[in-house]
Amino acid sequence: MSDMVIDIVDTRKRYRGGVQALRGVSLQVPRGGIFGLLGPNGAGKSTLVKILVSIVRPNHCSGTMLGAPIGHKPTLARVGYLPEHARFPEYLKGAEVIRYVAGLADIPRKDAAMKAEHLLEMVGMQDWGKRKMGTYSKGMKQRIGLAQALVNNPEIVFLDEPTDGVDPQGRLEMRHLLRRMRDEGRTVFINSHLLGELEMICDGVAIMDKGEIVEQGTIAQLTEKSRRYELVTRGTLSDGLLSRLKAQGVELRHEAGQNLMSVCGSDPEPVQPILDALRAEGVIIIEMRELRQSLEELFMQSVGAGGVGGSYQGSTPPSLPRKEVVK
Amino acid sequence: MRQVLTILWDSYRLLAAKKLFWIALFLTVLIALMYASVGFTPEGISMLFGAYEIKNDIIVEGSMFAEYFYMMIFTDYLVPWWLGLFALVLALISVCPVFPDFLKTGSIDVAISKPMSRLTLFLVKYLGSLLFVAIQVLVFCLIVFVAHGVRLDAWNFEVFWAVLLLTFVFSLIYSVAVLVAVLTKSTLFSLLVALLVWAVTLSVQWTESLMYKATYVMPAAGVSINVETGGTRRSNQEFDENADMVRFYEIVRKVGIPLPKTRDATYLLKKKVSVRGNDMTMMTAFLDDDASSGDRREAVAMEAYDNRHSTAYIVGSSLGFEVFILGIACWVFVRKDF
Repeated sequence: MSDMVIDIVDTRKRYRGGVQALRGVSLQVPRGGIFGLLGPNGAGKSTLVKILVSIVRPNHCSGTMLGAPIGHKPTLARVGYLPEHARFPEYLKGAEVIRYVAGLADIPRKDAAMKAEHLLEMVGMQDWGKRKMGTYSKGMKQRIGLAQALVNNPEIVFLDEPTDGVDPQGRLEMRHLLRRMRDEGRTVFINSHLLGELEMICDGVAIMDKGEIVEQGTIAQLTEKSRRYELVTRGTLSDGLLSRLKAQGVELRHEAGQNLMSVCGSDPEPVQPILDALRAEGVIIIEMRELRQSLEELFMQSVGAGGVGGSYQGSTPPSLPRKEVVK
Repeated sequence: MRQVLTILWDSYRLLAAKKLFWIALFLTVLIALMYASVGFTPEGISMLFGAYEIKNDIIVEGSMFAEYFYMMIFTDYLVPWWLGLFALVLALISVCPVFPDFLKTGSIDVAISKPMSRLTLFLVKYLGSLLFVAIQVLVFCLIVFVAHGVRLDAWNFEVFWAVLLLTFVFSLIYSVAVLVAVLTKSTLFSLLVALLVWAVTLSVQWTESLMYKATYVMPAAGVSINVETGGTRRSNQEFDENADMVRFYEIVRKVGIPLPKTRDATYLLKKKVSVRGNDMTMMTAFLDDDASSGDRREAVAMEAYDNRHSTAYIVGSSLGFEVFILGIACWVFVRKDF
């Protein structure tokens, strides 16, 4: 069995009207994890997912999903999908929607009934399963959407903006659900704009911009280059110490009467001689912290700023959050 | 098969959720019950389960004419007008949103991402929409069947041909609505275009029918029209057809060849149902023994009129139209990016 559930190369899609949605996308998604696909509006994320689930036909796509060529219909029996802005028939009840989708996935009726019951409980909708979809809130519909995506016991689940319209408590529960799905051995593929949420749960991410993958890997891999240690000290530093610190590659700046020293790299070993030198000079070390870019900053750096397909209006200004603090 | 049944069952639930379906069904049952309330006595015709009676010498209990009259109301009035026109319009209004709603983003995605071919999905969804008419006509025919059995002791299963024929007629118009829906995703536009195509085909069929009567039936029956006064004169002998009229009729007939034969297909029922072994187009079989030669000539001419198009021509040309329209719709649906 291949380690990659998705392994595609040179995926291209040009819509009628000339819009080039994908410009040779290559993507590898490992089995059994939560994978996030990020990108600004119009980057081509939804087009890519729609190609993988046969909703959109690519102009070119080499590679496989679950070991079969892209567009192979029988393979979709092993795939779950929750589209963005999913609409389900308003005349159906929650449980009926799940059973309907089960029928489309060719699941026997008895199994479908049992699965519907189980999934309703799993998404916290067991008390609402016998009410019509028309009476549901947006968040409830989204939960039913998640349940229907799991009805065929899929190996890979595509979720397009799964927390859209879900309240904070619902989002928390959704995250638990996603982790549970991963623990069950499924691969969860999420398209989302909510970078903070993805950062909390994703094992790997890819960032798309203007129809291309601009970054791909685990969050640790992608932020590796930005990792550094920062030391905060108080008091005056002697000229000798300053020149030694500079010789060791330490960047120094002063802020609010404090000295901020920055050492690039994720290895703490080069920091030790600096600490020794500071202590030898009697400098008071207030704080030492390991820093890396947030997913949002990585995203902003990757996609830059521009028009559609190249702009992202971040909800928070870039900052360097502390991953770990040593006092 | 499970996937097909799932879509069909969902189609039924979709219809059952529509108020218009139940309103149309209520009216259908009401009209069928009105029909069933007509009976025959030794003195004539009884209405509303015996509440009223119309005296008649010929149409009486046990006579062939009573059976013919009862069946004629069904084939010439109820089927073409209620089921074949008003109920079909209600069905079209009710079913037109099915494809545009299905094709909306977020709705189509779930169905298409399942392990089922787009072709199957499209065709089953289309067939499922025809349930509206099939159910309405089936209920109507059941009541008519029982009425015939109870009133005339004639358990005539041939009345159920109406289910097949009217569902076929509806499918001809609905195929146009589906094509427009697949191209535009607009309910209103698909309804309007379907109604327009229906109106055009009906106009051509009515014109062809009138032209045939004027060109062939009237001369054969010895009836002539005074063009200046508009009056008719009946002669004891038949006339030759007017060459200009024949030419004009041929043009109209040829225009109608590629169009769906909604009206003609509805009237095919007359060929499919029979009374005492004679189908409803065999006018001469239902003549009185002492009918005049003029009446006999007219009956022969009307028989020729009712049989001027073969079943193969009506069904074949209509089916050709439907396959063409549906083929384009299907091709677009299968290739479309949603």
